[in-house]
Parts: sequence; structure tokens; C-alpha cells
Amino acid sequence: MVIVPATTGQMGAELKPGVLSVHEGNETSKYFVSSGFVFIHANSFADIIAVEALPLHQIDANLVQKGLAEFTQKLSSATTDLEKAKAQIGIDVHSAFNSALTG
Amino acid sequence: MASNAAVPFWRAAGMTYITYSNICANLVRNCLKEPHKTEALTREKVHFSISKWTDGKPEKPTVRSDSPEE
Repeated sequence: MVIVPATTGQMGAELKPGVLSVHEGNETSKYFVSSGFVFIHANSFADIIAVEALPLHQIDANLVQKGLAEFTQKLSSATTDLEKAKAQIGIDVHSAFNSALTG
Repeated sequence: MASNAAVPFWRAAGMTYITYSNICANLVRNCLKEPHKTEALTREKVHFSISKWTDGKPEKPTVRSDSPEE
């Protein structure tokens, strides 16, 4: 979903699971965001609304691997569209975790 | 004008954004190290009461305290 304004600046987008980096001066902090929205105001302030946002060091790599394997397996055994979608979401989230941890 | 790309797969499967978002949040919480994981699980708890309405009157409410839905 994208909100685009007429002339003054207001912009927004819908987020997918992944890494959000905050740059303050020389420091960068990275957070993993589960999903949400970002809304950018005319004065360049951005609001980020996320259900879950955590610093990367709180993620357990073993659980991520296990989860990825589990959902890949679920996708192959899924029957209904809804099950496939849920399994696909699982894969997307865990792959995003993986790239967050390695990238 | 800018139009959205193909509908996201979860919406094509009949899921709403809020369901998608809750599933993502759930999965994220499950991959945390302790003690953050236990903190996160407390965030997932819900507690609410529902009453059905018939003929313009509410029936007796039921209180639900579900732990993370599946």
C-alpha cells in the first residue's frame, strides 16, 4: 500500500518482515521488524508503526533455522490456498531473519 | 498512474493484512532468545469479553482469555 500526496510531502508504505536501520550521526542501530507501516511527513520525520521490532541480537539463530526447515516442509505438504499462504509467510519471515543475521 | 503490483500472495489466498501481520509477529516472537521470548509471549495474550446481540438486547457475555491463537 502506498500513500502518495499531491504537492506537499507525505509518503507512506507497508512494511514486510525485515531489517530496519536507524542512522543517528555516525551510529547505526538495526532492528528486525515483523510487519507494519512507515509514514513520512513533509518535514522529513518518519513514523514507523510495527507490531514487533527487536534488536538483532535478541534473535536466536538455531530457532530461525528450525523454523525455516519446518515451514519449507509445511509448504510442500500444504493443500488449501490458506495453508500454502501461511507456510509461505513462515518461509518469508525466516528467510528475512536469516539475511538479517548474516547480512 | 502508479498502481500496485500483483496482489500479495496472502491477500490472494483470502487473508487480510491484520491476519498476515499477526502471523508475522507470532513467528518473530517464536525465534527469540530467552528471556526476551517469555516477555514477548506475554504480549500475545488477549483477554476480552463477547456478547451476542439478539432482538436488540445483549445476551450474557462470555469472557475469553486466549493464549496465542493458532
